[in-house]
Amino acid sequence: MTALDPFRERVDYGPIRFLHRLNPLAKIAAPLPAMAVLLIARDVPTPVAFLGLAFAMLAVGAHLDGRLWLALIVGLPLLVAVMSVSFGLWTNPAGVDRSVTLLSIGDYRLYLGSLAVGLATALRLVSLLALGLLAGATSTGPDLVRAMVQQLRVPYRIGYTALAAYRFVPRFGHELQVIRSAHRVRGMAGGRGPFAAVRRVLGYVVSLLAGAIRHAERVALAMDARAFGAHRDRTERHLVPFRARDWIFIALFWAATAAIVISLKEIP
Amino acid sequence: MSAGAAPLEVRGLRVHHDDRQGFTPDDVSFTVNRGEVVLLLGPSGSGKSTLALALNGLIPRAIPATVEGAVLVAGISTADETVGRLSQHVAMVFQDPDSQIVTGTLMDEVSFGPENLRVPVAEVLERAERALRQVGLWERRGDNPDTLSGGGRQRLAIACALALGSPLIVLDEPTANLDPAGIDEIYAVLRELVDAGGHTIVLVEHNLDAAIDLVDRAIVFDRDGRLAFDGPVRDVLLSNVDALLAMGVWLPVSTLAALRLRDAGVALEELPLTPAELAMALDATVLPSVVERSRDQIERAEISTSLDLISTSSIAVTGLTVTRGKKTLLRDVDLEIARGEFLAIVGVNGAGKTTLLQAIAGVIAPPKGTVSIGELDPARADVRELAASIGFVFQNPEHQFIRTTVGEELAHGLEIARVDPDEIERRVAAMLERFGLEAERDIHPFLLSGGQKRRLSVGTALIAGAPVLALDEPTFGQDRERAAALLDLLAQLNAEGTTVIVVTHDMQLVADYASSVAIVADGQLVSHGPTTDVLAGDALELAGLRPPPLARAMRALTRHPAWRSISRLADLP
Repeated sequence: MTALDPFRERVDYGPIRFLHRLNPLAKIAAPLPAMAVLLIARDVPTPVAFLGLAFAMLAVGAHLDGRLWLALIVGLPLLVAVMSVSFGLWTNPAGVDRSVTLLSIGDYRLYLGSLAVGLATALRLVSLLALGLLAGATSTGPDLVRAMVQQLRVPYRIGYTALAAYRFVPRFGHELQVIRSAHRVRGMAGGRGPFAAVRRVLGYVVSLLAGAIRHAERVALAMDARAFGAHRDRTERHLVPFRARDWIFIALFWAATAAIVISLKEIP
Repeated sequence: MSAGAAPLEVRGLRVHHDDRQGFTPDDVSFTVNRGEVVLLLGPSGSGKSTLALALNGLIPRAIPATVEGAVLVAGISTADETVGRLSQHVAMVFQDPDSQIVTGTLMDEVSFGPENLRVPVAEVLERAERALRQVGLWERRGDNPDTLSGGGRQRLAIACALALGSPLIVLDEPTANLDPAGIDEIYAVLRELVDAGGHTIVLVEHNLDAAIDLVDRAIVFDRDGRLAFDGPVRDVLLSNVDALLAMGVWLPVSTLAALRLRDAGVALEELPLTPAELAMALDATVLPSVVERSRDQIERAEISTSLDLISTSSIAVTGLTVTRGKKTLLRDVDLEIARGEFLAIVGVNGAGKTTLLQAIAGVIAPPKGTVSIGELDPARADVRELAASIGFVFQNPEHQFIRTTVGEELAHGLEIARVDPDEIERRVAAMLERFGLEAERDIHPFLLSGGQKRRLSVGTALIAGAPVLALDEPTFGQDRERAAALLDLLAQLNAEGTTVIVVTHDMQLVADYASSVAIVADGQLVSHGPTTDVLAGDALELAGLRPPPLARAMRALTRHPAWRSISRLADLP
């Protein structure tokens, strides 16, 4: 199955790969303050520091497959570069340092300052992504749902229904493929152009929805018939405990966040 | 649960759906005793499935309906208890295996029910293991259910029912969506369950040939949803043959064959229910010679070969190879389909049947020069040319509806071909009349009944004048009656000259309707020829398929060698 399989089993990779042993909720709670800082930060060092922290944690504490590492090491810098330039081009030049002009086409001027703002924005987004990966790359869908039911007291009917709904995604993908080839064979009326395209997509949606609603009804009946929702709680075969180490992880992460923020403040 | 209460008692049950007329079932009463295996029979619309859904309270709790009378499960009225809590006493297996799966591994799936019932962890694991072992899936407990075959997923659904620990299991058309191999798997599992004892089974099933060995009692509903017969399955089926046929209930093929022979003057003491019984009965009696019939057959064959010489072949496939990604779906297929043929393409799941049909019809583009329909190469043709040469009917007719009324849907293909409006009107009106859809002209295609949708999809495929009609599993998920209605329609079109190509799993359908058969195995065409020849050989078995029930009976004959190659009812005297 792919890396995005929401149902894959939790695997234990030993004590060094500690992220896999933590409660998913701890891995979400720990970077929250850092994420808040990133949302308001405007400089370059802050996102770089948090990016470094996230990378260090993933490198030590997570077992990632080669493809994901490749995406992180090659893909992320590329993403930063592309976003820096495009954000830079869009930045309002009124508010930036205009001492160095990189490019001038007619009335348009691209300043180094604009590019710096673009870079800062790109880095913020990328470090938010990296912090999200701490939980995203090391937790499984069922574990997250179990943790939400067990610790956050989310009603299990909601949590497990959401999980069951994941199963719809590949099914609908396949169904859409069939519908598209069916419609193509019939030939489309209404000609070419954007309006015809919209109508065409609406045609797919009607077919897809009709099938989806019927499927969802059947799944619901099957779940009812297997006692889903019969009682206020259900047996949890897999406990996802919230242990001392989860608290410690959160505390240390928050402390590190504070340390980064304070130390960067002191550097002028 | 009161001690000694019957697993199931139905008292004067009537159910009325808001969108239907009258009550089905209507005033039905029966009691099912511990250990019984009961078959519910009845024509389409007699309320069998409605009854099944009422047995655990899904009707009226999850599906709104007016319910009168009572259903008692282990002595508990379904009116007094929720569906969830009733699941300890009655478990359900539905028709579509895909819509019963909610988790990511077999183990989680089987544990799902007991967990909901708050069974302690140790016992959940114990029940899950026992249930998975009973259906032969324990070794695959860590796998994703998506990786199982259709039959495997349905076995998983049975394991889930077993894990609930309820002594009564209700199965609503459990094999309607499966291929023959899957059907065999399900009945092997049910056989073991019945032999092991301890479970009471209520089965809704139209495939009597598969179920007949298993059940000991049959309850038959008539078209109005009233209880017509109730008793031991042999008595019910064999003592009421005429009434059942008149009612639209399908009898096992072996019984139908025996009835036909009796009419032809063959002395049969007792009517058979299974292929084995039919073979035994025929071996014990004197049969008329079939020489006359085979001479007739030879003549027919000669006529058809001479026809072949006159008319150019309608469709030619040469060296067709289809790959998707790294997978080869079809490898070097050569196939000639004569004008006016009724060709059935058969094979196990994943063999490449549908791919072959789609490549022929241009649904997926075949490599250039590998397929020709008359003069047309579907790889180069545009939609208009294609629609005028071959019509394709998808497995689910809804997938191909693109307009908002039945009339527009039919006119669509002609509008694209820029046919004159008066001519469109004339042809649409004729098509509506032909398929009995005049009254539905202005309603949305999605609001038609299942049978009407199917007829409309055939109509849209034919309206542009295509001489070839290709259908992908047209009888999938339908009961015998609807399937027969569609096949009679296809046979009629075929008799009028339309070349018909179907992909199907139903071997008796193949035997009774198809003039030729193509067997696809592992992406290759392994056999192609007249139906009688293909069914008489061993190509079906080699491809992992089972011959139709009648052919199985005839092959078992020891005293009448001339009869052994018979596989279709129409070939009996």
